[in-house]
Amino acid sequence: MIFELSHKTVYRYTAPVAQSHHLIHLAPRPADRQTVSRHTIIVEPAPAARTDFVDAFGNPATILTIEQDHSELLIHSRGQIEVTARPKPDLTATVSWSQLAAELGPGPGPHDLDLLQYACSSRYARPARDAYDYARESFPQGRPVLEGAMDLTSRIYTDFKYDPKATDVATSVSELLRIRRGVCQDFAHLAISGLRSLGLPARYVSGYLLTHPPAGQPRLQGADASHAWISVWAPETGWVDFDPTNNLIPSDEHITIAYGRDYHDVSPIAGVLLGGGEHKMDVAVDVVPV
Amino acid sequence: MTTQVEDVGAVSVDPFQSYAPRPNHYDELFGPGDIIRPHWKMFADLFRALPVDRQMSRVARLNRLVRENGIADDIFADLTKTDEPWKIDLFPVIFSTSEWAWLERAVTQRARLFDAILSDIYGPQDLLRTGAIPPLMILNDAAYLRPCREMGCGAGQLDFYAVDLARSPGGTWRVLDNHAETPAGSGFALANRVVHSQVAGDIFRALNGLRLAPFYQKLQAELMSRVNRDDPLIALLTPGPRHEDYFGHAYLARYLGLVLMEGGDMRVVGNRVYMKTLEGLKLVDLIVRCVEGGSADALELNPNGFLGPVGLMQAVRKTPNLVTNMLGSAIIENRGLGRYLPALAKQLLGEELELKDAPRWWLGDEAGRAHVFANFNRMIIRRAREGTGRPGGAELGRNPAKLPQEQAAALRADIELNGRALVAEEPVGFATTPSWTPQGLKPAAYAVRLFVARFGDSYHVMPGGIALTVDAQTGVSLSSSEGQTRDVWVTSATEVSNHVSLMRPPIEVSGVQRAGKGLRSRAADNLFWLGRYTERADSTMRLMRAALTRMRDEGAESQAGEAVRKALAAILAKDYAARKTPPAKEPLKAVESLVVTLMSATDRLYSLPSTLESAYRVASVLRDRLSIEAWNTLQTFQTNPVWRGEATPGGILDIIDTLDQGVLTMAAFNGMIAENMTRNPGWRFLDIGRRMERTARLSELLLALFGEAQDDDSETSGLLFTLEASDSIITFRSRYLFAPVLSLVLDLLLLDETNPRSIAFQLAAVDAQLGALPQASQSGVQTEEQRMILELLTAVRLAKVSQLAQVGAGGSRPEFKALFLQIADGLPRLSEAITRRYFNLTEDELRRVYSRNTPRP
Repeated sequence: MIFELSHKTVYRYTAPVAQSHHLIHLAPRPADRQTVSRHTIIVEPAPAARTDFVDAFGNPATILTIEQDHSELLIHSRGQIEVTARPKPDLTATVSWSQLAAELGPGPGPHDLDLLQYACSSRYARPARDAYDYARESFPQGRPVLEGAMDLTSRIYTDFKYDPKATDVATSVSELLRIRRGVCQDFAHLAISGLRSLGLPARYVSGYLLTHPPAGQPRLQGADASHAWISVWAPETGWVDFDPTNNLIPSDEHITIAYGRDYHDVSPIAGVLLGGGEHKMDVAVDVVPV
Repeated sequence: MTTQVEDVGAVSVDPFQSYAPRPNHYDELFGPGDIIRPHWKMFADLFRALPVDRQMSRVARLNRLVRENGIADDIFADLTKTDEPWKIDLFPVIFSTSEWAWLERAVTQRARLFDAILSDIYGPQDLLRTGAIPPLMILNDAAYLRPCREMGCGAGQLDFYAVDLARSPGGTWRVLDNHAETPAGSGFALANRVVHSQVAGDIFRALNGLRLAPFYQKLQAELMSRVNRDDPLIALLTPGPRHEDYFGHAYLARYLGLVLMEGGDMRVVGNRVYMKTLEGLKLVDLIVRCVEGGSADALELNPNGFLGPVGLMQAVRKTPNLVTNMLGSAIIENRGLGRYLPALAKQLLGEELELKDAPRWWLGDEAGRAHVFANFNRMIIRRAREGTGRPGGAELGRNPAKLPQEQAAALRADIELNGRALVAEEPVGFATTPSWTPQGLKPAAYAVRLFVARFGDSYHVMPGGIALTVDAQTGVSLSSSEGQTRDVWVTSATEVSNHVSLMRPPIEVSGVQRAGKGLRSRAADNLFWLGRYTERADSTMRLMRAALTRMRDEGAESQAGEAVRKALAAILAKDYAARKTPPAKEPLKAVESLVVTLMSATDRLYSLPSTLESAYRVASVLRDRLSIEAWNTLQTFQTNPVWRGEATPGGILDIIDTLDQGVLTMAAFNGMIAENMTRNPGWRFLDIGRRMERTARLSELLLALFGEAQDDDSETSGLLFTLEASDSIITFRSRYLFAPVLSLVLDLLLLDETNPRSIAFQLAAVDAQLGALPQASQSGVQTEEQRMILELLTAVRLAKVSQLAQVGAGGSRPEFKALFLQIADGLPRLSEAITRRYFNLTEDELRRVYSRNTPRP
């Protein structure tokens, strides 16, 4: 499927911002089954410095510095991406989770460091007792690792309510387990934290999801949004994505922007401002199949 | 050879005779057979020769010096708390020439090894890929900073390294901990040496001890050589005065001539780092990093870490050697590494590792966990890497044998879940070294930290260090709850070169500099407030002294009583809390209660303890700008409980004595500032602060006492009191032979610009200072604050004293009141205007914004 993507973010500040630095992850990364035919990022006011680079996780990233007083900032990401459908992986044909956990890490190697880093603790997704207890139910002894991951995905979908007001960017996994509501980012952190507590590699995926308007209604302009889900590894399949917010294995309606250990590694826009007072943010995302 | 260190007086007791280390337990002083080791012999001889009273007086002097130098701990700590005092033992640890030669070789070998390991971890990562280092140990550690890898710094990673060492009871050395994040701790070692040599320098010289100064001179030259610019600006980046190591940072910065900066003092523009100064932004050439690497750039590293300037990583990409140690260097502090170092030394250096780590198990793999669980109760469990670098601050760790059963079980579960972040080891015990106690010489378990720096291509060990008494029973690290430290002496077989002065850079790097490195906006702000607070304390003390003297001389029932009460109440009235308590009716009681409040209340903004505390706090963050004498003078207020409001002030006479001393001390401080501080913008701000405060206090006093006319006797008494409080009574008497009247007093205290106590004098001085500041003098146009001060000064100059003294309807003085209200209103506005122009850069508030992943399902 080919998508036309537009992701427009406008910040409005109550007081002028004297200087701002932004680290942005908006350009879709190269990924299996995904081809980016074009992509641009427009910024207003024009930044004094702009650095495009590939970050430590292989994602395209950009650092912007704006040195002039401004009370509005526009960041507009546009592009065309093709995603091909993936055949449904055979989840039961994967190694048992405990065997995988035991084999990762020790010994003379060679070790796949890119894989191992996703089994390690990170700021928002660290091994924890409560996350372990929650995830362990999906992983009885000997269960194939991806079968367990699917079960965990479904349980999160069932046990947690989607509520954008319940959490913010800094909400911890423990807090989420207590209040039982949150957004895709929180669900992804819970799943990753649980998997890592079991010794398994899991990564955070930032991206977009094609949304379908209710039957008979037109698609609303700008009504889509960025999305987050997880990816779990098994030696037989490589990385396989799971979407706990929608209880499914992503195929050709998910566009990948970036992989990281958690949200902090791949936050779409993270900025530090000098001044600025209060701020208001407006986001409009359109993911349109062509 | 005999060396005399002091006059030998009374016969002394031999402290070495009763010294009794544990048998078969390595001791630094006594070798086998309880014989003093050869390299201690001369120390023992010289110490024995001291009369007992001299021995004791040296201890007392040492304790006093520790207090006065402020090594004690961080300055924002409650000084009355005594839980972690910094103490220096009269006895150093002494190392022989041969022992030191071995330690030097072994310790620099480790520095070379860690440098090579860092090159790999932030480079090709072959060591991780092949499992020479367990990859999960590194990848799981938050000190491994991923974004630092693609910067390709290459070799040249480790410039500062410190190692904590202990000798086992059997006599072999082992490594307790490695420090690669910052050079912190060496500031403490330096300060210890400076203090200790003031009481033991004679013995040190007689022993031919190696001095520290040449090491630091080389370090200074090394830092200069990294920068390709004349007159470079080298920063020492500190987390700030609230950090426990701040003393060490400030000390090191002053010693090396670096500019002490916090992240907020810097700004990154165009991928270069600048210091924010009064004159604008100044390029920073090199940053000696004393902050945690992960918190050095909130944009790319820890999003909540604002210890460095935002955008630092970008600046480092452009200038890879901008920061030392490199960001991310702390990864080699991981305690799990020790077990792998012997093999790594062979692989990377082709050498046998000389100095091994304490036997330790990383709990991130099955083998480690199995061993530790099998011997659980003998183990101490600790974090694999600890944040603190403060000598003696390492955590003690958890021993399962000492935990209640359910906590031990929880610890076991924690290891299973989070073992990659933990290590375990069995306590091995510590060798002892003599400690001087009131009960005589006692053996004490100890550990030592040594410091290494890279000069050019090679590593060099500072010939000294810092040793601490540790708990032999529970300790596995350099943790010292008692804070008992000691200097480390290295004896030299060869002749030691002449004494090199400590606080002076070698001529080849000093160069003539008139203007300094520019004044940080934050320092300007603090100097302004230092001026205000010290003047506030001074004027309050003078006012109280004048009040009490009059009470003493004339009795409370005299005319003076009411004036005194009003004057004192006026100070406290500025404090909102005070208004709730109405003053007692009877003058004596009222004055007494006001005096006690001013003297001892810690919860009143304008009381002496609060004012002195504020002065002390701003002074302590300015320590790199104040002379040691000025700082010590100000400290006497802090070390005396009376000034902290903790001792009962006593009767009137006691208080007058105390105030006399206080006024003298403050005069000494001001004298040192006047005589020793260069007339740079920093001094100007201090002076502006002081003069504005003096104007404010005198105006308040005059307004409180003479706004409303009173009968002649009361007025005369009030005038005498005012003259006395403002130190102008002698001037008045020399001009007029009769009792004071308001118009003449106003002429002297308000208008007379030759009287350094008059308001016109203060305002004219402020005007001159503002005109000389960098931002004012550049253009011909007057700045906002220059116009404001001119307005006030002109109003004062145009005033006619006879009209001011005129009493209008209702018994009040309308012109008098109008003028002083104008001053009372104008000063705070002036203060705000100065803040806006000069200190505003420090008001910048950084904030974070994010976008979230939030779909609408």
